[in-house]
Amino acid sequence: MKWIHELRRLLRRSNRKISKEALAEAVTCEEAAERIFEWLDNELDPELEAKVGAHLETCARCYPFLVFEEAFQEAIAKVEQHETTPGELRDKIMQSLETEGFGSRSSSSD
Amino acid sequence: MNASAAHDDTFEAEALPQMDAVYRFALRLSKSEDRAQDLTQETFLRAYQNWEKYTQGTKVKSWLFTICRNLFLRTEERGKRHDEIVTGVADTDPRQISREATVFMAVRDRDPEGHFWREMVDARVLEAIDDLPDEFREAVILSDLEGLPYQEVAEIVDVPVGTVKSRLFRGRRILQEALYEYAVEEGIIGEPTAARIRNRGEASK
Ligand SMILES: [Zn+2]
Repeated sequence: MKWIHELRRLLRRSNRKISKEALAEAVTCEEAAERIFEWLDNELDPELEAKVGAHLETCARCYPFLVFEEAFQEAIAKVEQHETTPGELRDKIMQSLETEGFGSRSSSSD
Repeated sequence: MNASAAHDDTFEAEALPQMDAVYRFALRLSKSEDRAQDLTQETFLRAYQNWEKYTQGTKVKSWLFTICRNLFLRTEERGKRHDEIVTGVADTDPRQISREATVFMAVRDRDPEGHFWREMVDARVLEAIDDLPDEFREAVILSDLEGLPYQEVAEIVDVPVGTVKSRLFRGRRILQEALYEYAVEEGIIGEPTAARIRNRGEASK
C-alpha cells in the first residue's frame, strides 16, 4: 500500500516538472492545509490534486504538516483487525441459510 | 444448472467470503461480541433472502455493510436514543476540521515527523476507534480500516459526501488526540512540558 502511494507521488512529481512552482502557488497555505486529508485519501479531482500536492510538497511551512499527517494515515491504514468469525457462528449461519434453502438446489453441493 | 442453483453459487462465491469482514464491522459498530454475532447472522440471512435484489457488479462488501448497519441502528433505537450531541457536526465545513491540527502543534517540538504513530499497538488503535462516538466511528472504520472511498462510505451511511468528510476528519482528529494522550501516558512520547526529554520517545525506534 505504501509503495503505491510512493509511486503515485513520484508520478505526480515527474508530471509537474515544468510548472511546479506555478502550481504550488495556485493554492495558499491555508487552502492546502484544509485539503490535506482529501489529498492523502486521493479524493481530489486531478486539477486540485496537482495544485494541492505541489504546494504541500514544496512549501516549507506545509511540508512538515504533510509528513506528520501522512505518518498518521499510514499507521492507521496498516492496523489489522485480527478477529475472525467464530467457528460456531459460522456453523449457525450456514445452518440458518440451509433452512432458507441454501445449498439444496445448488449444482455444486454434490 | 437452474436459476436457483446459480443464485446459490453466486451467493457462495461473492457474499460468504465476506463473513469475517462483516463480523469485524459488526464488532466495531456494536462493541459487543454477542451483538456482533447476532448482527452477522442476521445480515447473512437478509442478504440471502434478498440476493436477487443485489445488483451484480456493485461492491458486495458495501452492500452487506449497509444491511448490517441498518440492523444495528434498528436495535440501537430500541435501546437508547441516538446521540444528539454529535448531530451538529454534520454541518461543519470539513475543511475547517482539517485545520484543527492540535496534536501536530503539540508534538512539533518533540516528534515533528510523527514517528510515535508507528509505535502504537494495533489493539490500542482499535480500542481508540471503538471509543469514538457512533457517527465518527463508522466513518473512520469504513474509510480508514476498510479503505473505502468517500462515495461508498456515503452510500453505506446514507449521507452526502460532504457529511462523510466532516465526520471522517473530525473522527480522525479525535482519534489523534486519544492516541496522543495514550502515547504520553505510555512514555512513547515525552511529556509536553518537558520537551527536552525527547530521547525517551526516540530511543525505541
Ligand atoms: Zn504552504
